[in-house]
Amino acid sequence: MGRRYLLIKVCSTTAVTGEQFTQALTASILKYFGEVGLSRINPKLIRFDSDGSKAVVAYAKDHAGEMQTALALIFRIGDSEGSTLPLKASGTIKGLGKRS
Amino acid sequence: MKDQLVILRNYFLDLGLEVFLRADLACSKREELLKLLRRFRSAFDIISVKCTNHNIALVAARDRRVDVIFFDYAKRNVWFDHSIANVSDATLELNTSTLVAASDYLALTKLMKDVYTAQQHKVDTIISSGCTSPFLVKTPTQMSAIGMILGLSKGEALNSVSVVPSRIVGKNVERRSRNYIEEGVKVVTRTD
Repeated sequence: MGRRYLLIKVCSTTAVTGEQFTQALTASILKYFGEVGLSRINPKLIRFDSDGSKAVVAYAKDHAGEMQTALALIFRIGDSEGSTLPLKASGTIKGLGKRS
Repeated sequence: MKDQLVILRNYFLDLGLEVFLRADLACSKREELLKLLRRFRSAFDIISVKCTNHNIALVAARDRRVDVIFFDYAKRNVWFDHSIANVSDATLELNTSTLVAASDYLALTKLMKDVYTAQQHKVDTIISSGCTSPFLVKTPTQMSAIGMILGLSKGEALNSVSVVPSRIVGKNVERRSRNYIEEGVKVVTRTD
């Protein structure tokens, strides 16, 4: 099962930590795809830059659509309003290039 | 109001953005809706109707002046049923923001049912963010991804954020131009 990497811009009214972002993403996947979906998508936070509010997340290659949907359906991160914006997807972390 | 709209349109045109104006009509009586349509149809590029009850939904779906209909998913007594879909000339709009307000799965179920009914009756759908806050603004790709979990195929989901909205806008821009006479008849050249 191949993996892909997604560079995400995290937008929020307050500063967000990697843990809060992971919780929001996991909650979104659980809500819309369930535990089976979560295990299939298998998201993993690789890198989180809280200054630039950018995150790199790895996920199962065959479930890119579900991953995009789960990210789109994040409306709260931590205790504040927030959203995510996928910037670039790649097969390697290096491929995400300068934007990360 | 027209002056303000012209100022607003020009402001965005200066920034290089093409502007299309949309009016959302919400009323509870048929007569009221028809009155609002007479008043606002010519001033706006897109007219959408919030279906607050079944009668309004039927009138809005039948009326050629209405481009888009959408439903309030908090209301339990009105949804996009077969009787509406059967007569619908309008496009069904799915607001992804309804999923934010929903605390349970019922809004998702209703949206999925509406998509299924629309597919059965070949009614076009558009997906919009329906945003009330900058955080609810989504990219077209994200909205089409949400459309896919609602039951649209990949092609339909992509069309609902690209082809269908641009077709509605294009049709109305043509209708509002001075060369438009009626359905299928337009002025090609003018000689003074």
